[in-house]
Amino acid sequence: MIRLDNVTKTYSTEVTALKGASFDIAKGEFVFLVGPSGSGKSTLLRLMNRQERPEKGAVWVAGRNINEMPDSKVPHLRRNIGNIFQDYKLLLNKTVFENVAFALEVIGRPRHVIRQQVPAVLDLVGLGGKQDRFPDQLSGGEQQRVSIARAFVNRPLILLADEPTGNLDPATGEGIMRLLDRINKTGTTVVMATHDTRIVNMMRKRVIQLDRGVIVRDQARGVYE
Amino acid sequence: MISRIRYMFREMWASLSRQLTLTFAAVITATVSLFLFGMTLLIQRAFDNQLSEWTGGVEMIVYVKHGASADEVEFIRAQLDAQDTLIDTVEYCDEACTYADAQKVFAADETFLDALTPDIIPSSFKLKPVSSSSGDALKSLKDLVTQLPNVIDVKTPDEAVAVLGELKSFFGPRTLVMALVLLFASALLIWNTIRTAMFARRREIEVMKLVGATNWFIRLPFMLEGLLQGVVGGVFGSLALLYMNQDWTGGMEAIDSNAGIKGFVVTDGYPWWVCLSMVVLGAFVGAVGSGTAASKFLDV
Repeated sequence: MIRLDNVTKTYSTEVTALKGASFDIAKGEFVFLVGPSGSGKSTLLRLMNRQERPEKGAVWVAGRNINEMPDSKVPHLRRNIGNIFQDYKLLLNKTVFENVAFALEVIGRPRHVIRQQVPAVLDLVGLGGKQDRFPDQLSGGEQQRVSIARAFVNRPLILLADEPTGNLDPATGEGIMRLLDRINKTGTTVVMATHDTRIVNMMRKRVIQLDRGVIVRDQARGVYE
Repeated sequence: MISRIRYMFREMWASLSRQLTLTFAAVITATVSLFLFGMTLLIQRAFDNQLSEWTGGVEMIVYVKHGASADEVEFIRAQLDAQDTLIDTVEYCDEACTYADAQKVFAADETFLDALTPDIIPSSFKLKPVSSSSGDALKSLKDLVTQLPNVIDVKTPDEAVAVLGELKSFFGPRTLVMALVLLFASALLIWNTIRTAMFARRREIEVMKLVGATNWFIRLPFMLEGLLQGVVGGVFGSLALLYMNQDWTGGMEAIDSNAGIKGFVVTDGYPWWVCLSMVVLGAFVGAVGSGTAASKFLDV
């Protein structure tokens, strides 16, 4: 599903975010990217949805080298990739329903499809009765669930999550992880950047560890270390 | 498709209402600049109308002595017809016709008009020289015609027409330059309004890009917003121009018909064409201003 071939990304002559990173992620895998701040986790995620381009190497997503993809095709690529963020990136002037519907609306889904899919995905993330609330009327965990619903409503092939539990207490974070695990079991590939030791150790999924832009460990059913 | 259109108009309206002050400023600037542009076109047209009224396509008038016999008039006509290399058309105007024309054409020449009274008014021939006639050729024609028997004077309305021509060439380019400068300012203001709107909605734009909205889909509501500002400016400017033109035309109708400036109005369908061009130009300026801003600041 995702393949990196010897990818190098630099932000300036002095800052190298990634150095010769290579790995394969199969369809339906759940992968943790771990490492300290500045190790290149977020850069990896940004390379996977073409927010960034590498200086060297190739990034393949769903069989296509996305570095060579013309700009006009990038939106179509992103419709197959859901994104979840530590700060949720919800629109505060829109209700829960509208936030999720927004993701379908801007890619031109018809109204009847939106009316059908949004309540379904809100039920899936456990926010069935809260669709008319605004983000500031929800807890942090609930806001992250809205963010997950928005990322998943279009049934993407891949979910990229950048520190989704970073702002949440341990119990709420566990709830979010159970939700991501459920989504992963539907066949969606999940790539999650985190430095939450407890969650990585609890989930026992594949772990790719980075240190100053270099992959230092790639372990199936790994722990944080 | 319908849901996309609905979305675009909804977002455009939301953005407009979110920054009313800037929108208002952009619309006013567009209104003033387009009004000035339309006024330039109307002034040019009014000058043309006035020139046409004064010259009527006639560039030389030959006055024949009051009381000249029909044979004497025919002799002069024959002499004029013989100059077919210099004269395109010859039209005879009897004494009543000449008196009426003189009031209009020489309205600015009071001394000449004072000398004309219905009991001494001459009849006249209106000459239209061929278009290729040079200034020297016209001068020698004038000298030739002046020497014909019973011809008392040969007049050309050149001086008054020249003054009007100068006025036209003075006002025309200057008002046009002012209008263009203001149009540029108006495009800049619309550009800035859209830039501010995009900055205010940067989080939405970021989310839209991440969920796979195309750049055109993101840009279009902003472009529509700028286009609407330009069109509304064009409509307001047109209304102001039509009102002003109507007011001016009414005022000119009240002026003495012998004042010689009654042609300085635009009464045919021309103002409507000017208004249409103002609205189209407003739309163009709005679309260009907002389109460039939407393209430039999409990476927020």
